[in-house]
Amino acid sequence: MPSASPSRRRVPGRLSAVAWCLAAWGVAASGFGASPSGGKAPDFNRDIRPILSQNCFACHGPDEHDRRGGLRLDDRDAALAELDSAATAIVPGHPDQSELIARIHETDPDTIMPPPESNHVLTAAQKELLARWIAAGAPYAAHWAYVAPTTHAPPPVRQADWGSNWIDPFILGRLEEEGIEPAADADPLTLLRRVTFDLTGLPPSPQEVDAYLADTRPDAYMFLVDRLLASPRHAERMAAWWLDLVRYADTVGYHGDQPHNISPYRDWVIKSFRDNVPFDRFTVLQLAGDLVGPFNGEHADDPVLASAYNRLLQTTHEGGLQAKEYRAIYQADRIRNVSGVWMGATVGCAQCHDHKYDPYTARDFHALGAFFADIDDEKHFKNGTNALPTRREPEVQLVGPFDRERATELDARMHSLDNQLPPLVLPPRAQPPEPEPEGVVASRIELDQLKVERQQLDRALMVTRALKQPRDVRVLPRGNWLDETGPIVEPAIPGFLGSLGTNGRASRADLARWLTTPVASGGAGEYTARVTANRIWALFFGAGLCRSAGDFGGQGELPDHPELLDRLAIEFLASGWDVKQIIRTIVTSRAYRMSSAAPADLLARDPDNRLLARQGRWRLPAEGVRDTALFACGLLVERLGGESVHPYQPAGYYQHLNFPQREYKVDKDDRQWRRGLYVHWQRMFLHPQLLAFDAPSREECTATRMRSNTPKAALVLLNDPTFIEAARKLAELALAEAGAADDERIAFLWKRTLSRGPDADELALVKGLLDRRRVEFKANPQATKDLLAVGVAPRDKTLDAAELAAWTATARAVLNLHEAIARY
Amino acid sequence: MHDPLAIHRRTFLARSGLSLGGAALAGLLARDGLAATVSAAAGPAPAAGRYPGAVYPLHHPPKAKSVIFLCLAGGPSHLETFDPKPLLATLDGKEMPESVTAGQPIAQLQGQKLICLGPRKSFSRHGECGTEVSDYFPLLGSLADKYAVVRSMVTEQINHDPAHTFMNCGTGLSGRPSMGAWVTYGLGSEAHDLPGFVVMTSKLGRNPQPIAARQWHSGFLPGQFQGVEFSTSGPPVHYVTNPPGVSTAHQRDLIDTVAALENHRLASLADPEIATRLRQYELAFKMQTSVPQLADLSGESAETLALYGAQPGKATVGTNCLMARRLVERGVRFVHLYHSDWDHHGGIDGYMQQICPPTDQAAAALLIDLERRGLLDETLVVVGGEFGRTPMGQGKGEQIGRDHHIKGFSMLLAGGGIRPGIVHGATDDFGYNAIQDVVHVRDLHATMLHLLGIDHMRFTVQYQGLDSKLTGVEPAKPVKALLA
Repeated sequence: MPSASPSRRRVPGRLSAVAWCLAAWGVAASGFGASPSGGKAPDFNRDIRPILSQNCFACHGPDEHDRRGGLRLDDRDAALAELDSAATAIVPGHPDQSELIARIHETDPDTIMPPPESNHVLTAAQKELLARWIAAGAPYAAHWAYVAPTTHAPPPVRQADWGSNWIDPFILGRLEEEGIEPAADADPLTLLRRVTFDLTGLPPSPQEVDAYLADTRPDAYMFLVDRLLASPRHAERMAAWWLDLVRYADTVGYHGDQPHNISPYRDWVIKSFRDNVPFDRFTVLQLAGDLVGPFNGEHADDPVLASAYNRLLQTTHEGGLQAKEYRAIYQADRIRNVSGVWMGATVGCAQCHDHKYDPYTARDFHALGAFFADIDDEKHFKNGTNALPTRREPEVQLVGPFDRERATELDARMHSLDNQLPPLVLPPRAQPPEPEPEGVVASRIELDQLKVERQQLDRALMVTRALKQPRDVRVLPRGNWLDETGPIVEPAIPGFLGSLGTNGRASRADLARWLTTPVASGGAGEYTARVTANRIWALFFGAGLCRSAGDFGGQGELPDHPELLDRLAIEFLASGWDVKQIIRTIVTSRAYRMSSAAPADLLARDPDNRLLARQGRWRLPAEGVRDTALFACGLLVERLGGESVHPYQPAGYYQHLNFPQREYKVDKDDRQWRRGLYVHWQRMFLHPQLLAFDAPSREECTATRMRSNTPKAALVLLNDPTFIEAARKLAELALAEAGAADDERIAFLWKRTLSRGPDADELALVKGLLDRRRVEFKANPQATKDLLAVGVAPRDKTLDAAELAAWTATARAVLNLHEAIARY
Repeated sequence: MHDPLAIHRRTFLARSGLSLGGAALAGLLARDGLAATVSAAAGPAPAAGRYPGAVYPLHHPPKAKSVIFLCLAGGPSHLETFDPKPLLATLDGKEMPESVTAGQPIAQLQGQKLICLGPRKSFSRHGECGTEVSDYFPLLGSLADKYAVVRSMVTEQINHDPAHTFMNCGTGLSGRPSMGAWVTYGLGSEAHDLPGFVVMTSKLGRNPQPIAARQWHSGFLPGQFQGVEFSTSGPPVHYVTNPPGVSTAHQRDLIDTVAALENHRLASLADPEIATRLRQYELAFKMQTSVPQLADLSGESAETLALYGAQPGKATVGTNCLMARRLVERGVRFVHLYHSDWDHHGGIDGYMQQICPPTDQAAAALLIDLERRGLLDETLVVVGGEFGRTPMGQGKGEQIGRDHHIKGFSMLLAGGGIRPGIVHGATDDFGYNAIQDVVHVRDLHATMLHLLGIDHMRFTVQYQGLDSKLTGVEPAKPVKALLA
């Protein structure tokens, strides 16, 4: 409220405004009138904070440097204090004496709050809520995300037999309160496809479909879930989720956008999900692997691999860069990421000033940055190269986690060969060498081959190494890196969350441990668990219980089922941060197994499915769209980890990259058909196939991917060679493996792609297409040849070309169906 | 959802293919609430079935309907283009006074002696307005009465990549929407079978600076507002060509069959996403026809081709400027042309002699052609780079050039409600600091939005808790003096 100053004019109309407001309050207090909260007493977090935060906090909130009129509304004591103007904004129990109420009812543009230039306007209902809240004594409550979760008993429910675990009563209780019936269970096939997509990112195979539908055991679904959770595909699916958060990409992101050496980190993430590394350990290794070293049973390289997390940010060696500027940019990048990933917080907003909505100060921002001031990563300012990949010291050579066994075998064999072989004797000059026995020669050849293979297993990786003397971190006034007048700060957690109490300078390891230590022991573990569990939930319901998965702050959304979210966080932490366990609990709930069908009345009442009266339905993520097509046609190459791969890409797509200019080299071997997770992630020009389906560029933490439905996506499915080649291979499979009748072959295409058979109408439509294409391709050998030549996968030459082309055209139809790339 | 407009927009977003995460949707709906408070302004009702834009109705009557931004990428020297500095000529070879440069960010000249470099090209007065323009640009010069020159631009980023990001997205941070995405989101597009936001590139001269797709990314706005790159050589748009061996009739048959299958499915499964997808396939198919037609310049007269210096099939600045006219003619909202490379650290004379003439011809042709077709009034044309160049020289002899400079540079604005024949703002006698009527990049954005009928303060999308704007959180205002 900017002009709450003594000089403020008293304007006519003010009294009537107050009178109006009192009338409104009186009416509401007498129990009549519909308010957004349905007549209940206003709840501060649910009803009041969102109004104050959105409309008032920017000028009357946590940022003391920009506070107007001496008024602070995010803190009750401050809000109740006398103002500069001698008025009092909030007089508990007395809306008629509260300046806040008077000012929101002003009509004079010079005095009304919020002021016109803010473009915020309070609705009558909001004004009424504020008055009722003050009348009720203006109770404040801490922001939900800064209150540690507590264990809530599930609400009592009438349908006590609905539900299979503790999640369900929380959902059912709310539905019963609203008078809505939960959806029926999904049919077994839909459920099988859903859980297979959700847990592995791939559809079930036809054999898996048949086996599951025939499985009559009462806990067939439990066995299915266990099988899927144990699959390496599950680890790949989870890794893709994590890589969005930590902004993993294969290139530096700025200027020349050269590749950097990072893919072994991606493999470590996959391995960690496969091995179900507890989330607290997973956290410590990434933030501070270099400081903590290996733990029981961990390979010595694991902490090294994990520590590459600190190197994932965008970097540059552009000529003319100013080291101090980029030091500040890198620091801010890391702060945004660590706070976004683990705290669900937007601490990055406090770079130039105290946060406008949440209690993070600019000092907190810089103190959080100071944890990372020991990371040795500035050499590339001077010695970064325009090579592909570029140079980003410190880097190490190591063996990726999935190649270790092979490397050990090779090392052992080479060692034994080395021991067996006689030393090479150089003959005296001008004499032919003495021929060696045949066995020796063979061993020497083998040894050379092994050496080559072994060398190929070594991969470079940017790692974290700590400087002996961390760089000084100053509070930069207004975020200005040229201003060195601010105080030097030591590493510290945000002040309102307490302090670490370490002896001496706190380290990244201390920060990581704080993030995962229970609140009762001085950490923030339950907060971190709540942020993480919410995002895991979103993988299985399409949205988090708190919809703003990236912002748990005051401007974020309130959770729709706060008690359930608390319980998930507590269970997650109590399980020893067992990721697979929390996922198992979620997908075995009855709520997860509901149908996703949305009857019109339910859709009208709850269009965003916040009440969870049904399951969600959505288009697969970009990687899933690709992987499903490759899986259906049998081309998918399933191998864990390795260097990133280069699928077909339009010529010239990288034409704007420079330093150096580069040509995209399409993989001509089986790397062409690997999962989307492994596709070379070029930050400046993300592969257009992935981009069209909303994969993020990974410049920043992505907690929620969008799901657009655009002509560009249609063009990819229609014309991208990946999908043309997939259609051809799917057609080849149908011709080779299905029966001879068209109906059988069409059913085969359907089953491979949609996990079901076609109905009579679908059969008729597709047969029409098939027949028209047969006529066309029989008459046009050139078109046949051209279509079949798409892709590097060899063609089955035993098949009639025109027939194969017609079937390829038919397979395109099924691959282009929404059902093929949707999860129901 | 008391506001019918909000409902309308929401259904429209769904219809036009938006299916957003909860947070983003909440952002759009919050925006709806805001829009509901806006009193009706001028502007015809949108055609049925068309996304009316998030700012509907507009905040005030617009002057411009579309934008062509010709970005001279790399940072052209203002001292050899639009900002004559006779005093600098007299200082050539002398040290730049330290008082001017102390405490300033310096790029490649860090730690070097800072020596003044006089203007390398003469200037002439043109038109009734008498604006002085460098003799590198005689054709543009002859049109001086048709545009405004801003000589007092400032930006905040001194390296190319973040400076482009700043110029396009209003912030140096990655992951934010570009102005083309903002404008298309705010206004929708009037093109029926083309994307609303198109990007084209050309290069000449020096080894060009890279350009990142983030310069036309939609950031936290939905993917459909992303700029679509058109190529003037090869297939115009990625994946817009039928697969080998697939005729247009075959492709049509496929899409019809898919549509029939989807409609059949819709009958048993009421999933609005399927319905949306049907429309996207239809639009995709139309693009497969309309985009090649658009790229086919055979219908343009020889005179027009010669006017622009356009070379069909070659991605030159002339071809792209002609394409830009064709695009706005068809209702495309925002055309962004990148013409590289103006990063003349060295060899500035040689490179300018190479790159200026075709740029001069193309930009002048664009203004002439738009005007004679009656399009200039409703098309805002902006010409300029991500920053300017230092009054200090870099290197020696024939290889001399200039370093990056952010404290004062020039831009040209024309058409779409811009007051023609004026010079706005000035740098100091060195051409170093903008000292009069300083125009920040944010002010440029506010001005552009203003001309399009949008109040930049009220054009927000909630992202990470903040009412995010193209103009950011620092103060910004439309430059009144530039408005006709």
